[in-house]
Amino acid sequence: MKVSRDEVKYIGKLANLRFNEEEMDKLIKEFESILEHFVNLEEENLDGYEMYSFDEKSLRTRTDEVVNFDNRDKLFSNVKKMRDKCIEIPKVVD
Amino acid sequence: MGAYETVIGLEIHVELGTKSKIFCGCSTKFGSKANENTCPVCIGLPGVMPVLNEKVVELAVKAGQAINCKINKINKTDRKNYFYPDLPKAYQISQFDMPVCSDGYLELGDKFQGKKVGITRIHIEEDAGKLIHLEDEDVTLIDYNRAGVPLVEIVTEPDIRSAEEAYNFLKKLRNILVYSEISDCKMEEGSLRCDANISIRKVGSDVLNTKVEIKNMNSFKEVHKALLKEEKRQLELYRYGEEHKIVQETRRWDAGKGRTITMRTKEDAHDYRYFPEPDLPPMILEKKYIDDIKSSIPELPMKKMERFVRDYGLLQKDAEVIIDEKSTADYFEDLVLKTKDPKESSNWLITEVLRSLKEYDEIPVTSKQLSELIKEIKSGSISRNAGKKVFDKMCTSDKMPEKVIIELGLKQISSEGELEKIVGEILDNNIEAVEDFKSGKGKAFGFLMGQSMKATKGKANPGVVKKLLEEKLKK
Amino acid sequence: MYSVNEIKKGLEEKEFSTVEIVREYLEKIKKKDDKIKSFITLREEEALKEAEETDKKIASGKKLKILEGIPIGLKDNIATKGLKTTCSSKILEDFIPPYDAGAAIKIKEKGGIILGKLNMDEFAMGSSTENSAFFDTKNPWDLERVPGGSSGGSAAAVSAGFAPITYGSDTGGSVRIPASFCGVVGLKPTYGLVSRYGLIALASSLDQIGPFGKSVEDCIYGLKGVQGFDEKDSTSKDVKMPDYFKEIKKGIKGLKVGVPEEFFAHGIDKEVKEKVEYNIKILEKLGAHVEKFSLPITATGLSAYYIVSSAEASSNLGRYDGVRYGVRTDEYKSFKELIVKSRTEGFGEEVKRRIMLGTYALSSGYYDAYYKRAMIFRKKVEKLFDEAFEKYDVVVSPTLPVLPFKLGEKRSNPMEMYLSDTFTVNINLAGIPAVSVPAGFSKEGLPIGIQFIGDKFREDILFRFAYALEQEIKLNLNPWKEGR
Repeated sequence: MKVSRDEVKYIGKLANLRFNEEEMDKLIKEFESILEHFVNLEEENLDGYEMYSFDEKSLRTRTDEVVNFDNRDKLFSNVKKMRDKCIEIPKVVD
Repeated sequence: MGAYETVIGLEIHVELGTKSKIFCGCSTKFGSKANENTCPVCIGLPGVMPVLNEKVVELAVKAGQAINCKINKINKTDRKNYFYPDLPKAYQISQFDMPVCSDGYLELGDKFQGKKVGITRIHIEEDAGKLIHLEDEDVTLIDYNRAGVPLVEIVTEPDIRSAEEAYNFLKKLRNILVYSEISDCKMEEGSLRCDANISIRKVGSDVLNTKVEIKNMNSFKEVHKALLKEEKRQLELYRYGEEHKIVQETRRWDAGKGRTITMRTKEDAHDYRYFPEPDLPPMILEKKYIDDIKSSIPELPMKKMERFVRDYGLLQKDAEVIIDEKSTADYFEDLVLKTKDPKESSNWLITEVLRSLKEYDEIPVTSKQLSELIKEIKSGSISRNAGKKVFDKMCTSDKMPEKVIIELGLKQISSEGELEKIVGEILDNNIEAVEDFKSGKGKAFGFLMGQSMKATKGKANPGVVKKLLEEKLKK
Repeated sequence: MYSVNEIKKGLEEKEFSTVEIVREYLEKIKKKDDKIKSFITLREEEALKEAEETDKKIASGKKLKILEGIPIGLKDNIATKGLKTTCSSKILEDFIPPYDAGAAIKIKEKGGIILGKLNMDEFAMGSSTENSAFFDTKNPWDLERVPGGSSGGSAAAVSAGFAPITYGSDTGGSVRIPASFCGVVGLKPTYGLVSRYGLIALASSLDQIGPFGKSVEDCIYGLKGVQGFDEKDSTSKDVKMPDYFKEIKKGIKGLKVGVPEEFFAHGIDKEVKEKVEYNIKILEKLGAHVEKFSLPITATGLSAYYIVSSAEASSNLGRYDGVRYGVRTDEYKSFKELIVKSRTEGFGEEVKRRIMLGTYALSSGYYDAYYKRAMIFRKKVEKLFDEAFEKYDVVVSPTLPVLPFKLGEKRSNPMEMYLSDTFTVNINLAGIPAVSVPAGFSKEGLPIGIQFIGDKFREDILFRFAYALEQEIKLNLNPWKEGR
């Protein structure tokens, strides 16, 4: 199962990951080896099976009431850069 | 060359009027301090999971029924994956191929011959946070208060044919949603947002040409303006045979500059990699649940308007004005109940009451106060003009008209006995005018009326004065 | 060192105090874990403080909860309030959650004393714990071999006697595999039986927290400590489970065992095959009826598993961008750079590989062929297991096709590592429970595990088989050789 370098580059863009040329070469080889194995899924007979069966109970919901988180002070304690109670990042242009 | 027609479809995001967010118990209150209404779930900390707010489903189903949609008994949520700083989990929980409502319509009203605009779908989704771009620094700040606020996205068929139709559609939709208490639909607070897709094609064609998406329109009026502008831009390109220059893109409406500007092209389009949300099993809505919600929908604007015309004998155009706000319509009916006079009630509503709403957020005079005022005028105790003065005074006080009339000394003199004396005096002192009138000069009557009213400082009941004058002049 | 029952008895009869027990475990960890390297974080002070409180409670005669005074270890992907939770990843190396996982809350409510957080494959991706960003954990039975993964630290800790109960997470075998490699009991519960709230997600439709114990009874205590409904998890099920301690006394006479031929086919290590077959004979001896049958899901199951788990993982790991938590790259001039660099620097190789694979499987043009097809295949696996459980009470197989391998042995080719999961992944795809129980040792003294697979919410049957076998073969599960 061949995978093109452009394809892998595009996937990297979608996933926000960067690879150098060497890493890219390695990744492509690994991809191809893994996708080779996945061929058995293609060949599997799936007649009569659907993705959803909807035979479980309906999604459980909660009542519409305000419940405040009891530890709001620590909610942003892992942020590296805060300003005026907001998270600070470099300016984002649309 | 052939005539062209405009093809418009709208995408409207509406914030549902719930107390808490869609997947967590944080408050949805607008205007709170930055990041005050947050918790691990809505800021996407590692390990958190969503739990759906039942009111969100209820309001989404209600919205669907209010605009004649089919409610999809089985529906589910999906993840829409993309990266943006206001999106904490790097995916938005939305609905992709099985939305809660589909295939509805909204009628545009008489002006458009009752044209129906198709509603493709309504689905629920979570809102993202807010970005604050600082002016003089290369910094953006993120506030997650809005992250997780429940939205419905309403998508129309490309049935709209003009900016005016679009404007009308939005007004009608807003009314229905406010009436049904689904949302307060305040564009200025962001609880209603609208994007539009617009393209041009030859009349008679059923092909859809390249469409352009318009964003950043912050009021219904701006939607109207932006669509007119974009329509013009595209038409010009067609007229010069340069329609190939219309590319599928997103353009930002710049209200200041009064034009649309390229934002991003299709090449930058996202691959959202939708897949079913594994943390939320599908919803299966029972028939009784769906029916109960339908019966909870209050009388919608169109029906109310028809009823006002039919039962109260109002003019269509007056009824249209009154039902524009649910609060106004309710006030009107309450007033009618008290005065038993629909015509008078509607008169006052369309004039003084609506005028007062330009100054005050809510109707400043209670229906009880106004009904008493109307009674006073009808009984002749004050003139209509005086009534306006009483109304203005009652806008800032909860005093009843009776008291205000006395305070302002506006009581009308209606007793024939009193007025007869005055009229008699006027006639005695204006023999020339009397002679003029008797010799056929009608104007003289008006002069005598004026004099009589002046003598009473305007407090005389004009009807009675007129009657007395006529009687006396006959002799 | 001690079984849960021994600790409970000892505390009750005032043989020792909770403080003494906790201190004893902590000392052992400090003395011996430098060889094993199972713990990432220890919480000595807090644990001893809690032990003091427990002693006060015991002294006052208050009724004791089921895990009262029992030292516990948690895999480092289970959120603990105020205590560093890293998922063995650089990108979360300083992350301190402001909240407790649902399972952690239950453990605390039931009196458990958390000693610390245990090493794992980064973000639970791996079968050997070699993908930890911090250090390798060793197999207590042979320090040059892997403990299995991704819950390697949890399994090794129990095996080495650092805690009587630890918890790991199992997405494709990550509890059962290290249980097998380390010679301990490890259970993957039915999907939905244990809350996932606070379990830092790898694959949301497959993950479950599972307990490790040296004995079946200790594992049962572990399950009882965390099972049950949690309203914060929308996939959490509310099912009343039987009294496992009562059930295990029933034995396995008359129960039916299904042996799937494909799970004993080519590629499996000869010693593993023989040992497991030998144990199946023991089950027969104990009165169970054994029958072979066909369950042709192993090869395709592995593909479906890696597609679904990578796809869901690629989405679940999108939030790690350095913005709200986690390590931010040093230099960045734009938002884009901030997130690309933080992610590229913060994630290890395997994590990046699976994010890429998952993104690919979900991308436009490939969704139907990969993700959708894999999800449809899951329905087939579910149906085949349903059919099996109409005939059999339990399905049995080796936990893995291989013996514990040497550190570094399977690093060259990811597919080779993935193949270790052949017998475990289908259980996650179907959402059913399975337990790995020590079956014996290879000639070189390496642990071999036997896997019991059951129908949804039939953990009772699994425990019955596990207990019956354990009591019959009575293995010595102490890995510490003389002088170590």
